[in-house]
Amino acid sequence: MRYFIFRNQTIEPLFGEDGIGYSGYDDISVIPDTTERYIWFYQVPFNINSQQLAEEISTYIDKLTLVLSHIENKELWILSLVNLFPIQLAGNDTQINETVTLFNTEALKLTKTNKNLRFIDFSSFTSQYTSQELINWKFYFISQMQLSTKLTKDFKLWFMRKEAEIAGKRKKCLILDLDNTLWGGILGEDGIAGIQIGGDYPGKAFYYWQLALLELQKNGVILAVCSKNNENDVLEAWEKNPFMVLKKEHFSAWRINWQDKATNIQELAKELNIGLDSMVFVDDNPTERALIKEMLPMVCVPDFPLRPYELMNFFSQLVNDYFRIYTITDEDRQKTEQYKANAKRTAERSKFIDMESYIKSLNINIIITPANSFNVSRIAQMTQKTNQFNLTTIRLTEQEINQQLADGWKIYCISVSDKFGDNGITGAIFITPSNHIENLLLSCRILGKGIEEAFVQYILNYLHREGIKQITAEYRPSPKNSQTADFYERLGFNLSEESINNKLYNKTLEQEVSIKNYYNIKMNN
Amino acid sequence: MKQRIIEIMKDVLEEQNIDINSTQDSLENWNSLRHLNLVSELEDEFDIELEPDEIAEMKSVQKIVDIIKQKNN
Repeated sequence: MRYFIFRNQTIEPLFGEDGIGYSGYDDISVIPDTTERYIWFYQVPFNINSQQLAEEISTYIDKLTLVLSHIENKELWILSLVNLFPIQLAGNDTQINETVTLFNTEALKLTKTNKNLRFIDFSSFTSQYTSQELINWKFYFISQMQLSTKLTKDFKLWFMRKEAEIAGKRKKCLILDLDNTLWGGILGEDGIAGIQIGGDYPGKAFYYWQLALLELQKNGVILAVCSKNNENDVLEAWEKNPFMVLKKEHFSAWRINWQDKATNIQELAKELNIGLDSMVFVDDNPTERALIKEMLPMVCVPDFPLRPYELMNFFSQLVNDYFRIYTITDEDRQKTEQYKANAKRTAERSKFIDMESYIKSLNINIIITPANSFNVSRIAQMTQKTNQFNLTTIRLTEQEINQQLADGWKIYCISVSDKFGDNGITGAIFITPSNHIENLLLSCRILGKGIEEAFVQYILNYLHREGIKQITAEYRPSPKNSQTADFYERLGFNLSEESINNKLYNKTLEQEVSIKNYYNIKMNN
Repeated sequence: MKQRIIEIMKDVLEEQNIDINSTQDSLENWNSLRHLNLVSELEDEFDIELEPDEIAEMKSVQKIVDIIKQKNN
């Protein structure tokens, strides 16, 4: 699998199904290790109660941290949280935005200590649209998909570009111009003491910029110089200007002459023995930049800020765009180990120590109700719509279900709620008068938290109390229900017959089986 | 129009063999998620707005053709 995506909403149309795995909705209890990388793509759910919503959002960072502590060294791409539903009842209600910002800040912080993390700013996509364009309420109510399906194609393109950016991001060498790039002013005119580096602004801005570049050099990025100057003037400035942070020894190579810069850069590539496509060229002069873009399109040429105080933002953009390091060296591994220890501590401090306590914290309430005139139409609808968790895919109408009830079938439906809300009726089981489970189905919305096992086990216990000793069941494969192929095996049923068309099971109900106490299950009779 | 609908379906569902008798149960790729993409494509193509109950009824090619014909009248 290429990606496994942790999500809390319907996003399958955005990423497709080929080689992509999805978590259950807001479910982190399953973390497959057969994937190349993970993606974290949570979005702000719709909840008009901003207090509740803020509480929910504030749990995301704990969940992310917990996931992080389980994924070893594989890559995890985090898409930032964006609130697509900007409904604000009170003008001063900034609670949601604050919790969203907090999540993004914390996630970004994690990327600083974890080289296998990558933060993708989702707002760079959403900011292109108005909120009317972003949300299509019709599709939201049908599918729980927030982002309008009209934007699916745009999203795919945007994400492909992000993937390409990440893949092509590891540049090796930064080639710098000197005058008005590494310092303010022109060395040939202003002299060694006259150029702006250190002291008051703008010299201060160039000083900080050089300090930042020095860090880059210490982290393995090769620095080089390409400048139209007299080489001796520059060598003297490096040596004699006391505020100069970057000196001769920090540059692996330089071309300081009056030759055109395209030729110089080609020579630098040869001298350093690296490809032009792993070089980034920074120059304040737009004409020089245009020349390199034209002559050497493989070299990356970012725009240079017009004002020196913008240099720090420019630096962080440079790092983010070209010099994030992903290769895992021994030293990185050490850092990862350290991080892992930290993550464990964080997890211990936070609400969930492990998956079980995570599920416990959800306060899952399961209510089982016999089919009746209030829910029969919903049950019929589910038999029509449910594909993935549907053991025999028998489609039924309301009339047919009413007939079965009249014939003495036991039909129950399940409603699931947790501390974040009520999912309503999301599953059903059909048992014939001769105690055969003809069908069992559950909406994929609630899967992945062990609810399916708990539900069936509860029913089996109930039947046992009613004096039923033998039960049979059936699985019929469909193109879509393969994830349930061994569901009855998992519940301890015996396979009695198997053919291409179905699998038949039986089970003796000898005693009640205890169910994890963190599911609060009730039966309405 | 029928042909155009089938073409869109082939494209969105990535299924080669679709004809007027195809149904949601007979096509492996026609799941609820692709169904949404299909609805969205059909809405754009025929410049119509499909209502949720119609979307739920669109379980066969024939039904889709019927619904869109009705819409266009």
